[in-house]
Amino acid sequence: MNVTAEQVIFLAFAVPLVAAAIGVVVARSPMYAAMSLVGAFFCLAGVYVLLTAHLIAFLQILVYAGAVMVLFLFVIMLLSLGGEGQQLDRLKQLQWLGFVLGGGGLMALLAWISREVAGAEMAAVGPDFGTIKAVGRALFTTYLLPFEATSLLLTVAIVGAVVVAKEKI
Amino acid sequence: MKRFFGMSLTLALLVGFLVLLSAGFYWAAAGLGWGFNALSISFGWNPPGTVSTAAVSYGAAVGNLLTLMMVVLMISGSMLTVAERKWSALLQNRIGANRITVGGNPLGGIPYLLADALKMLTKEAAAPDVRNRLLFELAPVLAFAPVFCLFAIVPVGPAVDLGNFFGVAAAGKSVSLQVAQIDAGLLYLFAIASLSVYGTSLAGWASNNKLALLGGVRAASQMISYEVSMGVSLVGTMMAYRTLRLEEMVVAQGAPVLGGFPALGLLLQPIGFLIFFTSGFAETKRAPFDLPEGESEIVGYFIEYSGMKFGMMFLAEFLEIAVFAGVITAIFLGGWHPLVFEETLRQNLQPIWFAAVCGGAFLVKMILLMWLQLVIRWLLPRFRYDQVQKLCWKILLPASLVNVFVTGAAILIDPSLQLLAWIGLGTIIVIGVLVGASGRQAAATDGHAAHGAAHAGGH
Repeated sequence: MNVTAEQVIFLAFAVPLVAAAIGVVVARSPMYAAMSLVGAFFCLAGVYVLLTAHLIAFLQILVYAGAVMVLFLFVIMLLSLGGEGQQLDRLKQLQWLGFVLGGGGLMALLAWISREVAGAEMAAVGPDFGTIKAVGRALFTTYLLPFEATSLLLTVAIVGAVVVAKEKI
Repeated sequence: MKRFFGMSLTLALLVGFLVLLSAGFYWAAAGLGWGFNALSISFGWNPPGTVSTAAVSYGAAVGNLLTLMMVVLMISGSMLTVAERKWSALLQNRIGANRITVGGNPLGGIPYLLADALKMLTKEAAAPDVRNRLLFELAPVLAFAPVFCLFAIVPVGPAVDLGNFFGVAAAGKSVSLQVAQIDAGLLYLFAIASLSVYGTSLAGWASNNKLALLGGVRAASQMISYEVSMGVSLVGTMMAYRTLRLEEMVVAQGAPVLGGFPALGLLLQPIGFLIFFTSGFAETKRAPFDLPEGESEIVGYFIEYSGMKFGMMFLAEFLEIAVFAGVITAIFLGGWHPLVFEETLRQNLQPIWFAAVCGGAFLVKMILLMWLQLVIRWLLPRFRYDQVQKLCWKILLPASLVNVFVTGAAILIDPSLQLLAWIGLGTIIVIGVLVGASGRQAAATDGHAAHGAAHAGGH
């Protein structure tokens, strides 16, 4: 069997990725769940690098692993969560629902992949693909309207957060 | 007079040593690049007689990993532990670490490295029973690893054609003193730097100690805040040099602007430099931003750590100083450009030796910046916590946003960067005048003490 370096690197990131993703769901302590999610984000960034999407990979680490999850951690650290696991019984039905929906989604995805993608060679990408210049050009020409709409949405969210948090401005 | 000559000689020897060192680094990188190429040919991956770009760049990257990160970064980090003691002593007008002597000679305090290592490795590993075991052990690793990885994108030396090392057969491929040339350069820097907050905050939480938790929470909020202004402060330089790659930024800084003066980041972006320096300093969590540690109130997020686990966090802080100095050198101080006699050197020296001189220039600038950080750390008192947050959100962040708009407008009006350079020069003059005026005022109210200090310094 001919193993390429690409496959080795893919497995080096993909196996911990799946393990960390399972850890997010299974872990009883919210701290472990949050740290597993950080690990999953990091490994996913590695897979992005393998797909020559460097910009997305580093933004993934910067935004999700470096900023969003730190805030999650901050909240978990400040709330002393002693009695986790006690409410699990109440959520049993929800857990089953989640299991069925998640499993069904996974099956559907696998079926689609095996029908459409399996065995097909991925098309080679150009030397520009995934660079900052290429992504920036696409973002500010083809996708300018969604980009500006998103920034407007974020501004609204920030203003809303300030209004909610401060009673008197 | 004798002392002056002695110091000049020492400094000249140091510069010469750094140049020789970077020449050695070039040979290591080129040798490994050539060796990897030979290996790939012997395995039959490449036809004989060819030079593969991939093999050469991987080999050079491994060589640079060994020389730059293992040698330059680690030795800078560990020497800083000694330098901090010596400089704090000089600033406080006392004799520094000199109790460990080898044959009666303290050797500038360097034996303290060995003593520190021995002490940390042999100390009893005491840990609280109520800790969270996994995260407690993981935290020092998470504090150390990201900081160490950051140095991978710092360009220490220019690219040199491989043909200069191994004859014309190898021409066309180049090696440089940089581990990784990443398209997203600065984003890598921000992304990996943002991960280092986990080490400190997890250490605080997993220790299960109120003081440690306070330190961890303070560290997390401080680092998140300053990451914002740090990121925005560099947008101006990204726009001015039109790249995120550090190596291209350094090359762009060699271009003349304002009548032959090189377009240094410091000249084009003085405000960006000040904000980046302050924010980066806050990220290293050292005085005046050392609230996560704050020895006099909470001992810090590492209060429960002992031995080498504490040593890892401590060393990570010093590595951060070294990395930060390297990044500032590359972005704002012209990187490896020697700045003086550059053309003469380029024309009269062989390419390898010119590159070695450039590498030496980079290391000299890096050492100067590390020294500057030590001086600031020992000169300024600690900020209050609300002052730290106010400085970030009310001063640095708005200033960096204004800087982005001004820079963008100046580049839009005049793409040749002349206008931006004039604005930068004006800003530097204004800042200089303001600092000079306020400094004199402070000296007038406090003249006696200043005079006394100057008098004491004279002896």
